[in-house]
Amino acid sequence: MMILKCIKRNTVTSSFASFIHGVRPEHLSTVVRHRSKRMILDSIGVGLVGSTTRVFNIALQYCQLYSSNPISSVYGRKGLKLSPTLAAFANGVAAHSMDFDDTWHPATHPSGAVLPALLSASQMLPAGSKPSGADFLVAFNVGIEVQGRLMHFSNEAHNIPKRFHPPSVVGTMGSAAATAKLLSLNESQCAHALAIAASLAGAPMANAATQVKPLHIGNAACLGFQAALLAARGMEASPFILDDIPGCAGFNVFYGDYQPKPLALPANNHKFLLEKQDIAFKRFPAHLGMHWVVDAALSVRNMFVNYYHSFSPSLIRAIVLRIPVSKYINRPFPESEHEARHSFQFNACTALLDGEVGISSYTDSSIHRHELMELLAKVVVEHPEDNVANFDKMYGEVALILENGDVLTGRCDTFYGHWRKPLSRESLLKKFRSNASYVFPENQVNTIITTVENMEDLPDSSQLASSL
Amino acid sequence: MWAKTITGNFAGMIHGLNASQLTDQVLQRSKRMILDTLGVGLLGSSTEVCHRVIHYSKIYSANTSSTVWGHSDVRLPPLYAAFANGVAVHSMDFDDTWHPATHPSGTVLPSLVALSGTLSEKKKFSGLDLLLAFNVGIEVQGRLLRFSSEAHNIPKRFHPPSVVGTMGSAAAVAKLLAFDQFKCKEALAIAASYAGAPMANAATQTKPLHIGNAARHGLEAACLASLGLQGNKQILDMESGLGAFFGDYTPQDLPPLQSYSWLLDQQDVAIKRFPAHLGTHWVADAASSVRKHLVGSDDTLPVSKIKKITLKVPEAQYVNRSFPNSEHEARHSLQFAACTALLDGSISVQSFNHQNIFRPELKELLCKTQVEHPSDNKPSFESLYCEVSITLQDGDVFSERCDTFYGHWRKPLTKEDLEKKFRSNASGVLSLEATEGIIETVNHLEEVEDCVVLSEFLKGTQ
Repeated sequence: MMILKCIKRNTVTSSFASFIHGVRPEHLSTVVRHRSKRMILDSIGVGLVGSTTRVFNIALQYCQLYSSNPISSVYGRKGLKLSPTLAAFANGVAAHSMDFDDTWHPATHPSGAVLPALLSASQMLPAGSKPSGADFLVAFNVGIEVQGRLMHFSNEAHNIPKRFHPPSVVGTMGSAAATAKLLSLNESQCAHALAIAASLAGAPMANAATQVKPLHIGNAACLGFQAALLAARGMEASPFILDDIPGCAGFNVFYGDYQPKPLALPANNHKFLLEKQDIAFKRFPAHLGMHWVVDAALSVRNMFVNYYHSFSPSLIRAIVLRIPVSKYINRPFPESEHEARHSFQFNACTALLDGEVGISSYTDSSIHRHELMELLAKVVVEHPEDNVANFDKMYGEVALILENGDVLTGRCDTFYGHWRKPLSRESLLKKFRSNASYVFPENQVNTIITTVENMEDLPDSSQLASSL
Repeated sequence: MWAKTITGNFAGMIHGLNASQLTDQVLQRSKRMILDTLGVGLLGSSTEVCHRVIHYSKIYSANTSSTVWGHSDVRLPPLYAAFANGVAVHSMDFDDTWHPATHPSGTVLPSLVALSGTLSEKKKFSGLDLLLAFNVGIEVQGRLLRFSSEAHNIPKRFHPPSVVGTMGSAAAVAKLLAFDQFKCKEALAIAASYAGAPMANAATQTKPLHIGNAARHGLEAACLASLGLQGNKQILDMESGLGAFFGDYTPQDLPPLQSYSWLLDQQDVAIKRFPAHLGTHWVADAASSVRKHLVGSDDTLPVSKIKKITLKVPEAQYVNRSFPNSEHEARHSLQFAACTALLDGSISVQSFNHQNIFRPELKELLCKTQVEHPSDNKPSFESLYCEVSITLQDGDVFSERCDTFYGHWRKPLTKEDLEKKFRSNASGVLSLEATEGIIETVNHLEEVEDCVVLSEFLKGTQ
């Protein structure tokens, strides 16, 4: 006797599955398409420059132990192909290797967990059934949307994280959703992909500011993709994974508070979150919080130079940083590049000393410079009550207390690159060109830009992956 | 000599413990665990979930390859062999359980067997190497579970093997591969970023993957550490480290190496007699006992005479299922266990096949079953009990209670019964020669020169 397996209706989980399965290119608004293409370009760029890092090399060495099915491209390694999920892992590591990738609100790094999986998956499909650029864009947006929706289920998620690193939680789910979409899984398989992914999600914050942090994104991309592949082969898991079932934790295990709601189907006026809430792109490779203090530091430095004609550290008695409370980015004397990218003090002082912050600010020699150490020794940190640990509300203030008693203060409420003050097309392209040029010649860089900007007209999206 | 951090402590322990410190009791108990785990893995190698995972893993290949238990035609890279075999071990929920609650062996043994069976001329591992690494992996899990009082009860949030099992696997591999203290620390740090899966996937086909993933991710973490990857050196000290998986987390220092006391010495594991959640074992023993009051000379249960079946059990949501709909749900249903034991007298591997799950006589009994949660019945494998009361149509009531089922650490299986379970599990997949070969090898594991023999036996004959 056949037992019919019915999809559980009316659950939050099934609404997500229906959404993933049912959304089409025509459901993407112009704004969403535009914003997501910017994200794709930026993510590729940071991945390319990230392919020159040590952590990427370790990850790649590891992946190369496995040789079967080499069909997916690796950022910046022409001619090298890996098994699809491993390519997703390596490229995801590259994307976050320098903490240069995009950040959203509620807080996560959405693109790095999704794009590498899609690029790999697009190369996996056979010649006759390659996804078009339009399909690719839809899948990408599914991956982003799922992440945003899940974060909205928790108030805790609105603030800078303390327990689980968000990309490892929602990023894995986003990758599963996006690859399920690209691989055209049926609705039931989409639900199982999400549930299997939940059992692969979640890494603790303690590994942020270490060399392992990039693996959180690499694993999110890779494991979410694996979940979709397992679901495609018939693996089944909890049909209530996103729902709140008392006494038996599902996805809510990662949150203190969790109130899930069903997703509206695309046909019924579903609005993508990306429409209302844009992304922040970073101008230099460090934690997002650093961008406020750097802009504040640059502004106070300008004032200083205006009065005193040059920046002279010896005239400074103390540097006061007014920042929100967040332990993992409060580091007076960072010792490694990873710690430096997660240190308010380091970034403020680098900006003061050099008048700019860039990729080279985090090399060993830059980190351990004598002049920088001297400046760091003058830093005092304050946590004003009104400065909340939240990327939508925080500010950065840098006050220079001079030996002569003068006080100069610079403040930044919204740094350039934040969603309230988005990078212009020129600035975004400049960042991309700078990153991509580490690995590609100019004409190839231009080709990638053109391909992404005209994504929806591309008949075969795997061409994008092969060009990387 | 103790490190300043607890994480450093653990690294020192993993690195510093040596075989001479394994007590007789620890050796004996761990060999029993190894035998049982191999047996349940062999049985599990024929399950659907295991087949799916093997199918998936075939997309990966590498220069070194390891045995997939019970599948002589497939070889996979060690990482994926560990994955597939770990899935097999937990595929039927037949593997060992410890206190505080986790399934310790399935997350550790597959990684070690995969590494020791790679047929590499360069490195061979002795039985003693394996035993020591295995015990390190078990020990680390036990120590970590003791950092949280929440862990003493049946879990509600994270499935424990996915948390501590991943760490145990990383530690065991680090030990087998003789990592220095620094690399041991990094292996633990990296492993933490792979740990953790939610309870909601228990009682589904994905639950076995929790063990398979723990094994392979621990192994992966160790591999990455050996390639130089570094993580947070205080991963076990911080609330935002391993503490992220627990509501309350109070890490403590380990005992000094010189006079190290193994947890397995103080606290044995429970070995299951049938493939279902540990809680069902109390229920089955109580139900079998009360059945004796009811059956006639033909040993059949007079189902129609039963008006009501009451189970007095602890509160544990994920094993409270009135009408299980799948084999996975049936293994996680106290009601199903009670009614099956009442109907058949005992529970076996066959109790969970499709026909038996959906037979009408069982459904009839399930309809009459209700569950109560006495306040003195705590959801802890150390202290829970089960009482089964049958109320007949004529008003008579019969009750029996089980405090300690046979197989629990307070009433361990005899050597004969443990080997009987192994033979029963292995016989469907291995030849008689291989079956006896494994029993013999494990019984004398500390004298075995090269563990690759185990992998050879485990291949099977298909």
